[in-house]
Amino acid sequence: MQSAARHDRLLADLGATFRPQRHWVEGRGVLLILGHFLSGVGAGTWLFSLWLGYRPGLVLAVGAMAAAGLAHLFFLGHPERFWRMLRVRTSWIARGFVGMNLFMAGAVLTLLLPVGALRSLAAALAVAGAAIVIVYKGNVYAASKGVPFWNSPLLPVLYATYAIRGGLALLLVALPLSGGLADTRWMELIELWVAVSAAVMLGFYLGVMRDTSPAARRSVAELTGGRAALGFYLGTVGAGLVVPILVGMAGVMGALPGLALAVTGAFSLAGDFFAKYAIAKAGIYVPLMPAGRI
Amino acid sequence: MRYGMVIDLKRCIGCYGCQLSCKAEHGTPPGVFFARVVKRELGTYPNTQLVFLPLLCFHCTDAPCVDACPTGASHYREGGVVDVHKDMCVGCRACIQACPYGARYYNEAEGEYYPGQGLTPFEHAKYSGEDVGVVMKCNFCIGRVEQGLDPACVANCATRARTFGDLDDPQSEVSHLIRLRGGEQLQPELGTRPNVYYLPPA
Repeated sequence: MQSAARHDRLLADLGATFRPQRHWVEGRGVLLILGHFLSGVGAGTWLFSLWLGYRPGLVLAVGAMAAAGLAHLFFLGHPERFWRMLRVRTSWIARGFVGMNLFMAGAVLTLLLPVGALRSLAAALAVAGAAIVIVYKGNVYAASKGVPFWNSPLLPVLYATYAIRGGLALLLVALPLSGGLADTRWMELIELWVAVSAAVMLGFYLGVMRDTSPAARRSVAELTGGRAALGFYLGTVGAGLVVPILVGMAGVMGALPGLALAVTGAFSLAGDFFAKYAIAKAGIYVPLMPAGRI
Repeated sequence: MRYGMVIDLKRCIGCYGCQLSCKAEHGTPPGVFFARVVKRELGTYPNTQLVFLPLLCFHCTDAPCVDACPTGASHYREGGVVDVHKDMCVGCRACIQACPYGARYYNEAEGEYYPGQGLTPFEHAKYSGEDVGVVMKCNFCIGRVEQGLDPACVANCATRARTFGDLDDPQSEVSHLIRLRGGEQLQPELGTRPNVYYLPPA
């Protein structure tokens, strides 16, 4: 966008009663959404792959987390100062940064070391890092007092659910395509269960937030009928919830081909990304003045 | 010592003097307003009212922006002034999302006030080169305060609607005004304990 047009829009935003949040969703802000999405998927994939003993999944998890780190880095105004993000006492971003580094160190060592005590220690380190990464994203948003729609303890729970679901979805794509697991029927069941859980939690979250404050109510309106609605309906609800639930139900009735599972996983991943994108885009700052003519 | 400000909404005429004097003092780029005035026309004819709300950083005692900062760039100075170390800021903008009062600005580029014509001599003189890719905010004109002067928005207020001083001193003019006129903080329910008080318009 041209600087003059951007300036005009900023002035309009500053005068508006319900000022939209743009920093974490527009321009380079998309990189932050991508970083949050990939880090959640990476952490979730690591946990499931470790449980299954599926080495390609572990490699995929490290790749996703590395890409998430780069996306985070390129979002920053001064990426060269990244090493300063260590104020873990109060900042969830700093905690996430530490978690990502713990994960990367532990995960790479797990992949390189032979089976033994050291490898187990590295894997435990990576699990701890993955747990921090799963928890941190929602808390970064929840700590934003300026945006009432995010400032809720429910959001970290929702984002953690999406991270676990994202990990499972990536494995749903990878396992059938690589022939890594003969019987994926149990995965269909877990996917169905997590998709239904995510749908219930999202509905609960929106229902609660609608009644908390005028700004949060406006955010819910933006999500369901405003500037974030397209991504929400097509991405979050359509690709992320409806398709996985329908395919999951079909899977319960009879075995599905591997390709169908992979496609469902891909839809699920797209839904996870758009959930984060739509929730970020619907953010509205606390109104400072009552509504009226400007 | 706890610096604070009292803004008398009965005296404010919405002239934007505070906004302009702040821009002149700090030489902020386009789109950055450490001090600004929001106006609203409320009601329906013939019962209408034009209201002004002068805004700036409230230098909260429990500032959520300071807690959200991952590097410690956002910090409390002596006297409770909330400021940003530009050389420590990574530009993550978490503080912007944390501030409920919209007092922080991200400076993406040193924009020109006259697009296509390059920077003016004033802009050249005021832009430090350290401001790009970081968050900027009001610091109560701490440089002026250390010289014994009032912040620019206080010194240039045409109606003397603004008063600056020590909130911890019960004898100060700001403490006196808050007691006498019933000074109120904006959205105290957020628990940030702002150090800017408004005196009611009527």
